[in-house]
Amino acid sequence: MSEKRKYKKRYCKYCEAKVDFMDYKEVASLRFSLSERYKIMPRRLTGNCKRHQDMITVVIKRARAAALVPYTVTRKQVVTAPFENLR
Amino acid sequence: MRHYENLVIVKPTLTAEEIQASLKAIEEVITSNGGEIAATNAMGMRKLAYPINKNERGYYQVIYYSAAPSAISEIERRFRINEELLRFVTIKYDTNREIKAWNGLVEKANKKAELAEAAAATPAPEAATEAPVVEEAPATEAPTEEAPVATEAAAE
Repeated sequence: MSEKRKYKKRYCKYCEAKVDFMDYKEVASLRFSLSERYKIMPRRLTGNCKRHQDMITVVIKRARAAALVPYTVTRKQVVTAPFENLR
Repeated sequence: MRHYENLVIVKPTLTAEEIQASLKAIEEVITSNGGEIAATNAMGMRKLAYPINKNERGYYQVIYYSAAPSAISEIERRFRINEELLRFVTIKYDTNREIKAWNGLVEKANKKAELAEAAAATPAPEAATEAPVVEEAPATEAPTEEAPVATEAAAE
């Protein structure tokens, strides 16, 4: 009675890269776990493990406080490549 | 003593010298409260992700230091009074893993500072090292050019 898997098996990319510590100042590395509107992506979509999801949420919230990453993006503010003009 | 990191955003309306002066004042706040600055990392003028007090840009500086946990509240109080600061973020590095990361970050920041200093200091030495190379090249070529001439002369 084995059910067929509908999607590719998800795995934690941070576990694979053996990430032990994340720096909130490296904005480009946070991009993976953020949606187009800069919401934190849920674990069920990214496949992150619990440990790394906890780490990345803390790091993203720090980056938001430091104005490195926006809290929200409204329709007016949407830019095609927002990280490039931040530099 | 615990390891900390402070990210500081200084107003962009100040001139470069005023920014450096205010950064020095910030560092003094830390040292006067018993903190030891391990490294500083200037991220420079950046665009903010969202406007803070109607400012679109800001000068970012990261300071790594170790201080007693009780000193932090006083340091933050002094930062809050400072009107040249748009924003500051204090981060504690507590667990062994975080302390290891902190050491790595300090090393990286120091290396970057060294490189910046070297880049500022090198123009003169670089010119000095390049000059002999340029002089040597013709010197090495000269004998090889002369040699065929000499052999031709010998053939004639």
